[in-house]
Formats: sequence, C-alpha cells, structure tokens
Amino acid sequence: MNREKTPPSEAETEHFVSQAPFDLQSIEQLSEDQEKLYLASQWTLMWWKFKRHRLAVVSGLFLIALYLSVLISEFLAPYNLHSRHVDHIYAPPQAIHLFHDGSFVGPFVYATNFKLDMTNLSRVYTENRTKIYPIRFLCRGDDYKLWGQFESNLHLFCPAEGSTLFLLGTDRLGRDVLSRIIYGARISLTISLLGVTVTFLLGITFGGIAGYYGGVVDLVIQRIIEVIQSLPTIPLWLVLAAIMPVTWSPLLVYFGITIILGLLDWTGLARAVRSKLLSLREEDYVLAAQLMGATPRRIIGRHLIPGFMSHLIASATISIPTMILGETALSFLKLGLRPPITSWGVLLVEAQNINVVVLYPWLMLPVVPVIMVIIAFSFLGDGLRDAADPYK
Amino acid sequence: MLHYIFKRILIMIPTLLLISMLVFLLIELPPGDYLESYIAELQMQGETVDPQHIEFLRKEYGLDKPVLERYVLWIYGMTHGDFGYSFEYQMPVSRVVGDRMFLTTLLSVSTIIFTWLVAFPIGIYSATHQYSWGDYGLTFIGLIGLATPNFLLALVLLYLANIWFGTSIGGIMDPEFLNQPMSWAKLKSILSHLWIPVIVIGTSGTAGMIRRLRANLLDELQKQYVITARAKGLHPFRSLMKYPLRMSLNFFIADIGNILPNIISGSVLVAIVLSLETTGPVLVAALQSQDMYLAGSFMMFLATLSVVGVLVSDIALAILDPRIRLQGGSTK
Amino acid sequence: MRTWLKIALCLFASLMFAHSGLASNFKETPEFAELVAAGKLPPVAERLPGEPRVLNLPELGLKPGRHGGAMRLLMGKQKDIRMMTVYGYGRLVGYDRNLNLVPDIVKSYDVEEGRIFTFHLRKGHKWSDGHPFTSADFEYYWKDVANNHELSRGGPRARMLVDGKPPVFEVIDETTVRYTWDKPNANFLFALSGGRPLYIYMPAHYLKQFHASYQDPEKLAEMVKAAAVRNWVSLHIRRGRQYRPENPQLPTLQPWMNTTTPPSQQFIFRRNPYYHRVDEAGRQLPYIDKVVVGLGSSKMIPAKTGSGDADLQARYLRFDNYTFLKESEKRKGFNVRLWRIARGSQVALFPNLNAKDPVWRKLLQDVRFRRALSLAIDRHEINQVVYYGLIRESANTVLPDSPLFRPAYQNAWAKYDISKANKLLNDIGMTRRNADGIRLMSTGEPLEVVVDTAGESTEQTDVLELIQDSWAKIGVKLISRSSQRDIFRKRISSGLTVMSVWTGLENAIPSPQMSPMELAPTSQQQLQWPMWGLYSDTNGRAGTPPSLEEALELQKLNTAWERSTNDKERTEIWHKMLSIYTDQVFSIGIVNGSLQPVVVSNTLNNVPEKGFYNWSPGAYFGMYMPDTFWFSKRAN
Repeated sequence: MNREKTPPSEAETEHFVSQAPFDLQSIEQLSEDQEKLYLASQWTLMWWKFKRHRLAVVSGLFLIALYLSVLISEFLAPYNLHSRHVDHIYAPPQAIHLFHDGSFVGPFVYATNFKLDMTNLSRVYTENRTKIYPIRFLCRGDDYKLWGQFESNLHLFCPAEGSTLFLLGTDRLGRDVLSRIIYGARISLTISLLGVTVTFLLGITFGGIAGYYGGVVDLVIQRIIEVIQSLPTIPLWLVLAAIMPVTWSPLLVYFGITIILGLLDWTGLARAVRSKLLSLREEDYVLAAQLMGATPRRIIGRHLIPGFMSHLIASATISIPTMILGETALSFLKLGLRPPITSWGVLLVEAQNINVVVLYPWLMLPVVPVIMVIIAFSFLGDGLRDAADPYK
Repeated sequence: MLHYIFKRILIMIPTLLLISMLVFLLIELPPGDYLESYIAELQMQGETVDPQHIEFLRKEYGLDKPVLERYVLWIYGMTHGDFGYSFEYQMPVSRVVGDRMFLTTLLSVSTIIFTWLVAFPIGIYSATHQYSWGDYGLTFIGLIGLATPNFLLALVLLYLANIWFGTSIGGIMDPEFLNQPMSWAKLKSILSHLWIPVIVIGTSGTAGMIRRLRANLLDELQKQYVITARAKGLHPFRSLMKYPLRMSLNFFIADIGNILPNIISGSVLVAIVLSLETTGPVLVAALQSQDMYLAGSFMMFLATLSVVGVLVSDIALAILDPRIRLQGGSTK
Repeated sequence: MRTWLKIALCLFASLMFAHSGLASNFKETPEFAELVAAGKLPPVAERLPGEPRVLNLPELGLKPGRHGGAMRLLMGKQKDIRMMTVYGYGRLVGYDRNLNLVPDIVKSYDVEEGRIFTFHLRKGHKWSDGHPFTSADFEYYWKDVANNHELSRGGPRARMLVDGKPPVFEVIDETTVRYTWDKPNANFLFALSGGRPLYIYMPAHYLKQFHASYQDPEKLAEMVKAAAVRNWVSLHIRRGRQYRPENPQLPTLQPWMNTTTPPSQQFIFRRNPYYHRVDEAGRQLPYIDKVVVGLGSSKMIPAKTGSGDADLQARYLRFDNYTFLKESEKRKGFNVRLWRIARGSQVALFPNLNAKDPVWRKLLQDVRFRRALSLAIDRHEINQVVYYGLIRESANTVLPDSPLFRPAYQNAWAKYDISKANKLLNDIGMTRRNADGIRLMSTGEPLEVVVDTAGESTEQTDVLELIQDSWAKIGVKLISRSSQRDIFRKRISSGLTVMSVWTGLENAIPSPQMSPMELAPTSQQQLQWPMWGLYSDTNGRAGTPPSLEEALELQKLNTAWERSTNDKERTEIWHKMLSIYTDQVFSIGIVNGSLQPVVVSNTLNNVPEKGFYNWSPGAYFGMYMPDTFWFSKRAN
C-alpha cells in the first residue's frame, strides 16, 4: 500500500528508519470492508449471504408474521371458529368498498339481499347498493378465551351492528371462511413445525450414531434407512394412519399425525448427517477432542453437530412444505385430522367436490395460504441453504 | 468393479427380506381384517350378513391361520411367482395389477419426460442468472406447482377441461375404448386425457427438480475449472455445457432409483380423483379394505422397484464417476 | 295396387287384434333379427316362455316403447355390478310400483296357512343360455347346494329356517315346487322379493360341472387348478354367484346379462334373449339393448353425471349435488328428478340402551331422558338449513305413503319444546349445573353426550352441529366423534358408545305384510339395543335379554306377527309396535322423506317423475321396471 519512496538514484542514501510502529500485516492491510468480512463470525457471514437472497428475506418476515398471528387468531378473526349464520349459508365473499356514490366513506360493505331459488335449490345473494355498513375496527364481537385464559371479545375488525362481514364468503353452515382460515393456520403451521422436530430428533440421532461409530452400526442403520426409503410414501401413511385408533381424541390424533409426518422425512436427514459426520470426524479438532478424553456424545453434540447445523436448518426448512402438503393429503384420504379440528387440510378436503368448484369456488380459498406458506418456506430454505456455506 | 457390484447385490437380499417383513407387519397391524370391512360394507347397504358365510370365507381366505404361517406362505409364493389372492377382486393379485401396469408405466414415463422438459431449461437459466428476477419468477412458478395440493388442482383442471375441450371426466380414455385392443384412435383418446394427470403430477415434481439442478449447477459453476475455462476465453455457453452441466447431472442418475416409485406413489391421489385406470387407486382401495395380499404384494413390488433402481443408479454412477467407484461411497 | 294395400291393411288389422287378444304374435327384437334369420337363435316366440309375463304398459301409465339403445350407468367399484341384479329385479315374486306383491318369474304361487308355499313356474321358461328353467333348478339348489355339507357347512341359510327348522321341499312336477314349514313363515316371500333376494334356485345344468357329486374328480381337480382356487367348493361358489354377476358364463333370468369378465373399468350387460317379460304389443323386454356400467371413483360420479356421462343415475348422487346437476341440466340434455328416500329418518340418533357404563345405561334407559333429548331438537331449523325445508320433520317412523301411517307417530315427542324438555330433565333429578350451564350427572360429571358417527357423511355431522346448539339450551353438551364403519359398529355392540347417529328405519313404507322386525330387538346390528338384538338373534346363546318392559313387549309382538296368518291381525300388531316404538323414543328421528336426485337422460322414457328410491321393498329402480325404459332416439 504505502510503499516507501525510492530515494533519488544518485543522491546519498541516508540510513532510513521508519518511525511508524511496526505492523506485521502492513503489506496486506485490510480495507474496512475486508476487515469486517474476515473478522465476522460464521453466523454474521451467513446473515450477509442470506440477505442477498431478497425473496428469502421477505419470505422469512412473512413467515414470522404468520407464526406470530397464530398466537392471537381469536383477535384477528372477525368471527369464532364455529359460529354459524343460518341466514347466510353459502354466501359469496363480500367486497370491501371505500367510496359510496362517489364520496369517500372508508371501508364498508353493502348489505346483501337473500333469495331462495326453489327450482335450482340454491341460495342467491345480491348486493344491496342502497345500504352501507362501515367496518368497525378494534371492536367488540364474538366472545372468546385467549389462550384458554383471558376472556375477551375484542376483534381487530368486525361487521357493523346488525350486518355481516364475510370477506371470503361462508360455507354450508354459514361459517365465515376467513375466520376458519385464520384458525386453521394454528393447526397447519404448528403441525409442520412439530413434524420437523420429530424429523430432526430422529435424523440427528440415527445419522449421528451411524456416522460416528461407522462399521456394523452404520451398516445396520443404513439398511433400515434403505428399507424405509424404499417404501412408497402414500401407502405408508395410509397404513400408519390406519393403525392409529380412531377413538383417539382429536388432540392425540394431532400428535399422531405429526409423528407420521415426521417419520416420513427423517431418513434423508439422517443420511445427510451421516455423510457430513463421516467427513468431519477426520478433522483435526475432533482428534484433539478425543485425545483430551471427550465422550462421543460430547464430541457429536458439541463439536460435530454445530459444524453443520446450518445445513440441517436449511434442509429442515425445505421439508416443511412436504409436511403441510402431507397433512392435506392425509386429510384427503380421510386419515388425517378430522373436524371439529380445523386445519387448512380439513378445509380443503371439505372443498374437494364438484359442487364447490362450480357453485361455491370461494371455499377453495384456503389453498391460497397453503401455497403462500409453502412458497415462503421454499424461498427461505433456498436462502438458508445458500447462506449455510458462507465461505463460497 | 465386479466386486463392488457383487457386494451391492448381496446386500440387497437382507434388505428385501427386511422390507417384506416390514410390509407384512404394516398390513397386519391395523385392527380387523378384510372380512370385517366387508361385513361393515354389506350392513351399510342394508344387506344381511350370514355368519356361516363369513366363517366360510375366513377359512377360504386363510385368515384363520396364524400370522407367521401366512407370512411364510406369502414369501414362499412370491419367490414362485404367486403374489397371493385378492379378496376384493376375487382373483389372483397378478391379474388385478397386470392390466393396469401398462397405463401406469405410460403415465409415469410421460410425467418424467414432462418434468425434465420443463425443469431443464428453467434450472439452467436459474443457475446462470442467480438472484435475477427471472430466477425468482421461474422458481416461483415452479413452486406454485409444488404448493398446490394435487387433488384440488386435478379436480379443477378436470372440470375446466370438460367445459373447454369436452374431455370426458375421469378415466384415461373415452369409455368406448375400454377393453378394446390398442388402435390409433384409442391412443389419441388416451393422449387427449393424459395431459391432465401429467401436468398435475408433473408440476409437483418439477419444482424439486429445478431447485436441485440449480443448486448442483451453482456448486459446479463456482469451481475453479470453470473460472479457468472462462478465463481462457471459452464461450460461456460451451463452458457451461462442457463440464459443469454434465457433472451436475449426476444427481439425475442418482435419482433413477427413486423416480419411478415416487411417481407411482405420488400419483395415487391424482389417480383417485381422476379415476385413472392405473395401479394407484387399486392400491389405496386395497389398503383401506385390508385386502392384504393385494396391498402387500403391491407395496413389495414398489419397494423392490426402488431397491433395484438404487442399485442400478449406484452402478451407473460408479461407472460414470471414478471418485465414487474408488471410494465405494454411497450416492448423493 | 289398391287390392294390395287392402290386403296389407287387413293383415295388419288382424295382427293387431290377435295381439290385444292373446299376445301370441310376438315381434322379433331388431337386435336379434339377423341371428334368427341365420338360424343361430330361435325366433322370439320360441324364446319366450309359453306364458310370458305380459306387461300392459298403457294400463300401467307407461308409454309402449321401441327397442334399441345403450343405457350408461356409473358405479364406484367393481362390486357394484351387483346393482344390475338389483335394478333388473327379476325375482320369483316382486313388488310392483304400488307395493303389491306380484308373481314375476313364477307364473303364480299359493300360500296355505302361511306355511305352505307352492310355486308354479312358467312352462317353457328358459335361462339366458336357452336351457329350460324347471323345478330341477330348485331341486339342485335345495339338495345339492343348501343341504350339501361342504357347500353349506351349517345347512340351509338362516332365512330358510323357522325356529331353526328347514322346510320340507317337494317337486310336484316339472313346473311346480312346494316348501312346507311347520309354522307360518311370514318373511319368506319378502325375502324372495328383496333387492338382494333369497335365491332358492340355481342353474343346475351349468353348475353341475363344478359339483363333486356330478363331475368326475379328475376333471374337477383340473378345473380347480386352472381357476387357481383351493377346492371345488370355492370353484362352485365363485362360478355360481347369481347376485354379483361376475361370471359371464353363468346363465341368468335377469333382463340383462353380464358379458365382461372382470377386472375391468367397464362392464357391458346385454339383453337376455330368453327374458320372460313382454309388452302388450308383443315386444320382448327389455327395450334397451345393452347397459354399460362404467366404474370410477365414487367421488367423481356427481361430476361425471353432470357432464352427461350417465343416462340414469342415482347411486352416489347426494341431495347437495342437486343444485350443481340442475345447472348443467339444459346443457347436457338430462333432467334431474327428486325421488323420496323411504327411510324412517334421514338422520336419527340411537341412544345405546346397552351402554357399558352403568350410570349412562340407567340414564339412557330412562324414557324421560330420551324424550327430553328428542324434544330439544329444532327439526324445523334443520329442515330449513340442510334440506331447504323440503322434507318432513318427524320421529323415526313410517312415512305417510305407508298404509300404516298415523300423524301421532310422526309427531311423537318431535315438536321443539325446550321448557318441556327441561322439565323432564329436572324430573330425573339432574338439576345441578356447572359454570357453563351444563347439567351435572349423578356422578357429578357434566352431562356430555358423545355421539359416534361413522365419519362418512357431512350431512350427519352438519345436523349434529345444529343439534348441539339446541341441546345446549337444556344443559346437555353434544360432542361428536367420528370413526370408521367397522369400528363404529364394533364400539356400539360392545357398549362403548353412549349414542350414535345413523339413518332411521330402513323400510318406512311398509304394508302390514312386511316384517316389523326393525322395531323390535331382533339383531345385533340394531344400534339402540345390540345386546338385546343379539340375544334374540341367537335364541339366547349370546347377548342379554331385554330388561325394559316395552322392548320385551315389542319382541313379543314381533313374534306374534311372524305367527299371524291374516292381515287384520298383522295390521293391529304393526300399530301397537309403532305406537310403543315412537312413544318410547327408542331412536330419535329428525327428518324423513328426504330426497334423492335421480338424473334421467331426456331421451329415456318411462322413468317416473316421482318415485321411491328404496332398497327393500323396491330394489331402487327395480320396482319401476327398467326393462320397460326405452330411448326415443339417440345421437350416439
């Protein structure tokens, strides 16, 4: 960088002693940016790399918001999960308007008129443009118990007194689809997280054991994995779900399903863990730990696993969509969650008939959050995986 | 090399044996048996059930024998080409499945081709244009296919195809061609129905394929030989095609073993919705009614398919990639 | 030229007269004209029995038709091809559309003392392969099948026994057979006419080749091996299934016979050239040449029907498909009709009087509790919400279309009355309530009624959800729990459930001649008293005897009906039973007379606008004689 000036050629050279303090790295002085880069911890590096995947960041934020919403579903949903409106069966979505007769009113809905068509046996709803019902915010509506503890009836938004607010329409019993989607998120989002946890536990345990010990243990575990992987998934679910007693309470079924979903994916993870371990255990620092007398458990848990935790997280993220779809598939086969538990899968299965496709298409709307969450998780997973190896 | 192949084949035997035990255990585990679901179904129809007749059937089907004996008989039969008897269809399993094998294969192969045709260009584009809007956009489209539950997509497409093109709902050909010998008109009818399941099943696999191709290609593209090639002034296209792409294709080969069983089992729900004459709906119905030999032999068949597939892909990889051959390691 | 015309006219006129007189001049079926001309098939007059069953269609209010066409039906599973036997409804005796029992395959029958049954067959009646159908076929069934200890291990079927004793069977001559029991057998004719009939005949000439008594053992062993079955018994059973017509070789007496060997996605049934019914103009029935049964996922059948893929469809269509079907009606050239389902209740609750838990058992056996629950159901709301107010709010009892109907049965404890219900519950002593307003049981636990469902119909769960609200008003909490058919049944019969939901009486359009057994503990399948039913079914070998006086009374009345020989007595017994059953609320009916969409192609004639869609009596379409349906003209 700052090279000393070469003395003029024919001048007498004076013995030069630099007064500056001696700096070993002066030749390779780091720029501020580089310094930051080299001194950054692995996690910081990953964060930087991750930030480059803009969609991953957006997806991550979206998912965080969604998971937080699960805590306050009761508050977010305009109606309760099971509240029925006998006069509004199969009502189509109500549109939100801002302007009435050219003047700004704020968000409101028009009143609906209802007519029973007895020749076709259908309920016909029409918008009544003369009457407007402004939407209320932070208002009192259906009673609920937040977290089973706090009684309240505060909602983020609710219909005007004496009116209805079905932004995504209603189903065959007049239940608000939007509210059901909001409540369904609670089951669908958590079930996949729990499923991933099961996957993780199994994958790390078996992969870790196989990878660390090798030899016969490895061979046996490898065979087991191979056996499980070679069984086709859907039949496997069917059988597992059939084993689950139907007399189980909904809560037990819920946990049963998480385990089934988890059982599905752990083999892939176990293989990844194993192969990573196989290569990592040759590293010098493992040898050092062994020489210092660390137990295998400590070595695997303390030294090896953190070495590829990032990879694990990335691959887990990618397997979450499979779980969410798996839940819907199981529901479709009538083996998954059953009403009155409400998940997106359950909602979609109720929408799985030709009547809905032709007459009540809004009942298929739960597919939108499913798609959004899956896409978000996929992008997040991509971003995490790219970031997992930040030195590239 | 021969030694490696020999070793792999030898390992297969205990694996298959283990699979057969697991399969048998799995179909035995659910409470009740075929006759119970049969009785329940009759009662639902309001039909009376004669206990004598049920007792007769139980003997007839060998359901009165102990589990172990049935397992041994089943395994013994399979090694002799006898896959057992389907209670539901009242005929040997091989005959039930046999007729449906052709369409299943046709559907699977078409789906694989569709997946590759779509995934290939998108994957390459995404890898070479990482983090561009094109990358995001195409991945996004691919993901929508993955994210939409197959059974719903199938239903909607089916309805729209009926409304727009007059394609008959359900089935993989127009009814008049059923049980007819193959003809040009029949093939055309099949093709006009095939596109729906191919798209529905294909889309869910495409996203995965795109992402794996992209990831593998990205890994390769960052290797030094690529940089060297580019530095030497090799045309970007050639420098992409010559080595990186080939290397990243290894995973296709590694995947051979899994593709077919995956597609067969993944297409099950779609096949049920679309009433396709493939093996999937038969398998699910068999599992649900506990038609155990049909279900068991069929699962065994799929499992064997994937075990053999993995073997083939391992061998192929070993031939193609000396590094694997020398280390004797496993596939990706 | 003119004389020619005159002669022709004269000839024509004489032919016409001959028809209306004796129907001895039969018209050849166009489909067979060529075969007959080639001598490969005998002409129609020889194919028909000497005394065919002549249906005078105009008298029946039907339009005489033309031959031809293919009728498309949709079914879910291969097993469903048995519906062709149901729809075909060729029975020894069968019900006509006014629910009168009439001879069909037999020319006539006599019943003496309610215990001696003599059947007179039609002379010259032939199986679908042209072989004569005679008393030998009855003899073969009785001697070589029903009483063969290998084919029927425990002897003749339960439905052939009265008090455990079989009848004496006699062949009088080639066309006359007689069955004689010691005691009256009131169910016999009904069993013969069922949707799934009691078969007392089999094609002997065909099946003898599979029977050990007639076939050379070596040849039989060969056939057993070729068919990959265990022994000749299973071979015989497999080849001789009359109800599920899987064997295309098996001769039949039905209007259409199967021509497709399973497995297949489509079964083609062709007309039976020897069928015994003929219209008044001498056209052999059925009118329709063939029936094409397409198989597909049962969930897709509404969609397929809506796209015009079926000419006659009711199976797998549900009431809530009506709107969708109606929308595509015009476009696809069919029309949707609504037939009545003849069940006592579309959705009914069954308190399990044999519940294991003693506290619950006591409560459920208390009539006040059952009445209270019934009173606290808002049937009007359910009717409006789920059925557009189109069906009838009623207890689980017979429909007004039955001669046995009385409004008192329909209204028994079926009027929504919360205060009365509350009073009944207070009378039982359940006055304490918890913080949520739920009554407490004597054990101190909240009164939570868990209702088991088979988990198949959203209709049931929807209705339960509506009941939940009104029950809450009397301090009863309803919790629904869904399972699967077989487990559902098992849990009920082992007393693990408290209450279950299912459909009401299977036959709610009975005449006094039909058995009232559904009202009394007679079978383990009954959801309100499985153990009592089992006790009576096994003659006391298993189960427990009824401990409620009213249930015992019902059982006695049922036995009395079985022994009775005249209709007056039978009618009295029926009324006694109906009034006990509804007054005691042994099952809680909600709505009945619900509607079944029936899709009929615009070109298909003679399908009634209104009808009953009922299993027994009726055999679904069978009662309306699909062999008289015809296509006016078809595009395909």
